[in-house]
Amino acid sequence: MSAIFDFNNRVALTGTLSKVMWTNPHLELIVETKDGDKVATWTLEGPSPGFFRSRSVGKVQFTAALGQTVTAEASRARDGSLSALLRMITLPDGTVVSLCPQNC
Amino acid sequence: MKHSHRGAIVIAASLSATLLLAPANGLSQTPAPAKVADKADQAKAAKARRIAERFEREARLLTVFDRRGTVVTTVGERAIYLAPVFSPDRTRLAVWKNDLERETEDLWVLDVATGKATRITAHQTREREGAFWPVWSPDGQQLAYGALRGGHFGLYRKASNGEGTEELLYQVPGDGPILRDWSLDRRFLTFSSSDLSGGTLYALRLDGDGPRKPLEVFRSKSQIVGSHLSPDSRFLTYSSNESGKNEVYVRPFDPTQAAETTPAVGPWQASDQGGVAALGWRQDGKELYYVAADRSVMAVEVNLRPALQLGKPKVLFRLSQAVSVNLMLAGVSRDGERVVIAVPHAPTLNQITLFDRQGNVVSKVAEPGRYLHPALSSDGTRVAVLRNDPRTGNDDIWTFDVASGKGTAVSSDPAPDSAPIWSPDGSQVAYRSTRGEFTGIYRKAWDGTGTEEHLFQYTPGAGLVVTDWSSDGRFLSFHDGCAGVLYVLPLGGSQNGLERKAIDWLRDEYSVAQARFSPDSRFIAYLSDEIEAERFEVYVRPFDASKPESGAGDTKPVQVSSAGALGMIFWRQDGRELYYMTPEWEVMVVDVTTTPTFQAGTPRILFKLPGPVIGNPQQWRNVSRDGQRFVFSISVPVAGPASRSK
Repeated sequence: MSAIFDFNNRVALTGTLSKVMWTNPHLELIVETKDGDKVATWTLEGPSPGFFRSRSVGKVQFTAALGQTVTAEASRARDGSLSALLRMITLPDGTVVSLCPQNC
Repeated sequence: MKHSHRGAIVIAASLSATLLLAPANGLSQTPAPAKVADKADQAKAAKARRIAERFEREARLLTVFDRRGTVVTTVGERAIYLAPVFSPDRTRLAVWKNDLERETEDLWVLDVATGKATRITAHQTREREGAFWPVWSPDGQQLAYGALRGGHFGLYRKASNGEGTEELLYQVPGDGPILRDWSLDRRFLTFSSSDLSGGTLYALRLDGDGPRKPLEVFRSKSQIVGSHLSPDSRFLTYSSNESGKNEVYVRPFDPTQAAETTPAVGPWQASDQGGVAALGWRQDGKELYYVAADRSVMAVEVNLRPALQLGKPKVLFRLSQAVSVNLMLAGVSRDGERVVIAVPHAPTLNQITLFDRQGNVVSKVAEPGRYLHPALSSDGTRVAVLRNDPRTGNDDIWTFDVASGKGTAVSSDPAPDSAPIWSPDGSQVAYRSTRGEFTGIYRKAWDGTGTEEHLFQYTPGAGLVVTDWSSDGRFLSFHDGCAGVLYVLPLGGSQNGLERKAIDWLRDEYSVAQARFSPDSRFIAYLSDEIEAERFEVYVRPFDASKPESGAGDTKPVQVSSAGALGMIFWRQDGRELYYMTPEWEVMVVDVTTTPTFQAGTPRILFKLPGPVIGNPQQWRNVSRDGQRFVFSISVPVAGPASRSK
């Protein structure tokens, strides 16, 4: 992970969850953020679906959040692209999922 | 969580003891669902068993040695301790303790004389909080430590009697810091941070006003762990793998210089034959200490003035190979007279042991040592195994002749190698090795001759486990380090390791591991927690060797086990039996047929091992082709002192 993502380069995002790819070994979330008229499309990489299963948070909660606002903290990719490793996410219903210490 | 086509998983492993073979599509074999209360009780019992096993495996006793390696005393009760550190007057120990029941990691201070323990931090959950890496203030009144709070790492300090509130010294923007020292002049905390892109040494200034920001003292593309400041704060010592293996170094410390600045003098290598961890300086600056690759606690004579001079390292004592500890986490008192190490209550080594189908020991191979994941060759005459070399600390692949016990190194390098798998003809061994930021698959002749061939390179930073080599020699299988995807690696063609591509054979929402080809390469047996998170069972699906890229597709898996499986999946060479290991350490056998379709009978116990076996059963390929022999690396007690004086 740390070869691709820089744990010292954090970003905090608030945007619309537009896609959930719930697959192994790492799920991916697409979050669209707005800065004025500019829309940025972020790809957030998470841990495996099994990580969430063992914490009683599932695909259902994430797909229910599609089209709604989520906030996330993530470590940015070293290549400067709009991709990042998810550290923490807050779903619209207030559920906070921390991916620490794995992704911290 | 499941895809719809998996709604009709075939439960071939019926609870009925009368019917050995069930039809592949025998939905009538589905057992009645267990009562919810029963399942909850079973889950609780399974968790309690896992905790008890892990405690037995990881619990340590804080043991104080003198400079000759004689045990002076033990402190407190057995627990899962990490990183014990002496107070400046060496009357107390600060330690990081893992509570498996509460799933917390907290700091404690223990009185060396009485063992009385004082809790310093109190966390609710390990998922978002925890404390680690304690260091003492020079006067012993305070502790500084790293902690994870609400998903953020920070450096904190608190009174060493546990009273009062903690103070956040610095919120670390990145990865968890390894805090190792509080300088004698009280001005600096020194810590390091390493990832696959390299490592950095930091110093956090504690004096002065305003927001604190650590100094980057030294940055390297190599891994760095440390550091400890000399008593006059002019030098620091740390370990690094910049030479290709870990050594201990000393370099000047100048808080006014940027990390990129090359020092006018130094760095100097303090260790001479491998140094895995710097342990610190004597308070008078006349000695520094480190742990050598061969598990020796070393002392180096030092002159700090007028110019730094380092003497030849000398052994204080060496810890026996039978004492399974992480010596990177040893602590030395500031007067250099005591060393504290968290050691297991009884020294053990591992004996490569062959069992028959009744669980009788039929032979023991070679002398006891540190062995993991033994695998039997196709003719059953040799065992390939991961061997930890007591001289170098390296994890290498070895083969041993079953009859004579003669050992031969297949690999010999500082890179950690693991999970050996024999080629079908017994001429080669494939294994995983992590080199730099890449984990790959390599193969070499079983006797170590010839050159090593790089077969495959995986995603940077990601781990993998090699699990099988098909009987026709055409495919390897492996799963990723998260047990999320089963891969098939075609070996045909002339591609090198960078060119060869692995095929996603099974990737879904649940965890999967240990793909094992049937002898006719028409099926793959594997582990999956499809039904219940973290509870694995054995399943079988067809494999099309002519079109491996088509993956597992939508074919329905046949469930073979029903009461949990840890791994050790193996097909007998005639394809008539499958074996696996249960969470109760039972070796199971299932009658199976593969023609015209796969059918499985009811699992039967062959024998039960006396207790937990070290290693990961998801990596075991430890059954003879005829299903008559099973090889394990069994823990055996070793007589003699836990350490020996030099």
